[in-house]
Amino acid sequence: MDPTQLTIAEASRAIAAGTLSPTTLTEAYLDRIAALDGELHSYVLVLRDQALKAAQSPARGVLHGIPIALKDIYKTRGVRTTAGSRRYLDHVPDEDAETWVRLRHAGAVLLGKQETHEFAIGGPDFTLPFAPARNPWNTAHYPAGSSSGSAVAVAAGLCAAAMGSDTGGSIRGPAAYCGIVGLKPTYGRVSRRGVFPLSYTLDHCGPLTRTVEDCALMMQALAGYDPQDPASADVPVPDYRAALSARLDGVRVGVIRHFHERDAVEGFGPESAPSAAYGAAFDAACRTLEGLGARLVDLHLSPLIDYVDANRLIMLAEAYALHERDFQERPQDFGHHMFARIGLGAFLTAADYVEATRQRRELAVEFARALSGVDVAVSANATGPAPRIDQVPVYSTFARASYTGPYNLTGSPALSVPIGFEDGLPLAFQIAGKPFDEAGVMRVGHAFEQATPFHRQRPPIAASLPSQR
Amino acid sequence: MAEPISAERFTILVERAGLSLTPEQFEELRQAYPQVERMQRNVRRPRDRAAEPAHIFVHPRA
Repeated sequence: MDPTQLTIAEASRAIAAGTLSPTTLTEAYLDRIAALDGELHSYVLVLRDQALKAAQSPARGVLHGIPIALKDIYKTRGVRTTAGSRRYLDHVPDEDAETWVRLRHAGAVLLGKQETHEFAIGGPDFTLPFAPARNPWNTAHYPAGSSSGSAVAVAAGLCAAAMGSDTGGSIRGPAAYCGIVGLKPTYGRVSRRGVFPLSYTLDHCGPLTRTVEDCALMMQALAGYDPQDPASADVPVPDYRAALSARLDGVRVGVIRHFHERDAVEGFGPESAPSAAYGAAFDAACRTLEGLGARLVDLHLSPLIDYVDANRLIMLAEAYALHERDFQERPQDFGHHMFARIGLGAFLTAADYVEATRQRRELAVEFARALSGVDVAVSANATGPAPRIDQVPVYSTFARASYTGPYNLTGSPALSVPIGFEDGLPLAFQIAGKPFDEAGVMRVGHAFEQATPFHRQRPPIAASLPSQR
Repeated sequence: MAEPISAERFTILVERAGLSLTPEQFEELRQAYPQVERMQRNVRRPRDRAAEPAHIFVHPRA
């Protein structure tokens, strides 16, 4: 039996029953990394000895003995943390990210640090010290970013779960392109302390997993108030796994169709048009929700571009302010994409920023009102298969439609779940919810997942190694 | 996409920002600048003067 094929829930049961040891599980993941990551580039640092030592720790919590990994913007005490940048190639923090502290206390084993776009925005960039991660479904294709290494490793079976960060979709985009589950929790739900910031008011930390149940287990360890994160919210944490169910009888689901059916092309041009296969997959996913007992109603919001432009302008302003001194004094330290994208923030004014935040409040109020009549909302994620990694325009970050950015702007919890395939590459949609209702979002995602086969399909490279069969 | 800003006007913006750009960086940012102008136009709208920004000051806990 190959233990890397198990979900976290399955592995935890096997560990609890004594039929699988954390050391065996950790060794199996380390062997897979050694065998496969030369092609996938999902890790920038593998902590073999430390992981094997940690695997011998006594049982602690819901993630006892579960091998996970962190995007390389999560600080790890005594372990190099680069943010994917030349600027921090030798940076060894003296503190841990609060999220890693919580995961470790829950029993997780750290396998290593994972490839990220530079400062969570500049990629895929072949001028950086670390090669961009490759999509495990087809290594000529892009896994999306910026949590690229994290999504690739989860999908390819190189860790059981990983932590990403999401400022405009950097958890949910990679989850979509890699065919896994990614959750951007509510703003304030999961601590950001000890994670390299990109944009203070839009950054979210969250998990990438193979199933929604695994996402619930990760969130059980992660969620909760952190008095040292100024944005952290002191809100009770429910039992996430207990909230999962197979049926959705009586659940009211709002469907935001106009984002992808009308607004993408109207706002961003024909290059943002959804593929026909995506439209069909989205419709089929909605029918599946109806079949599970959910009641669907169409929701109508302001045009997608209003949400996306406000999100991107705020991100640009905050990110440029954060890096301004380095842009002025050591621009040669940046990779091409980071410089080209965030450099545009130099030309914004204070009034631009304030106006964008006023628009943010208007749209957040609009979205809250729209959700008042439903339990969750579903909307598109990336509306076609992953492009080739050598065909990602540097300014796609601003020129193309984004379906994820609206929920960074509103701070809402949003979950990406696979809904099908096109040309052998995964497709996904999002389930968004009311503030701090990650449980409701995951309930709908879990029921959908259990009624569909997509989460059980794994990229060919995720098959067991000969030694693990 | 809209016409890019003139090199003369963009030079003023670059100098005001305190950036030293290579010719390639200057041209790449200049060509992309219409994306910024579009976002600026979109968020600068007539609003009630009482319309507050999304984040306001909150007293930190001691």
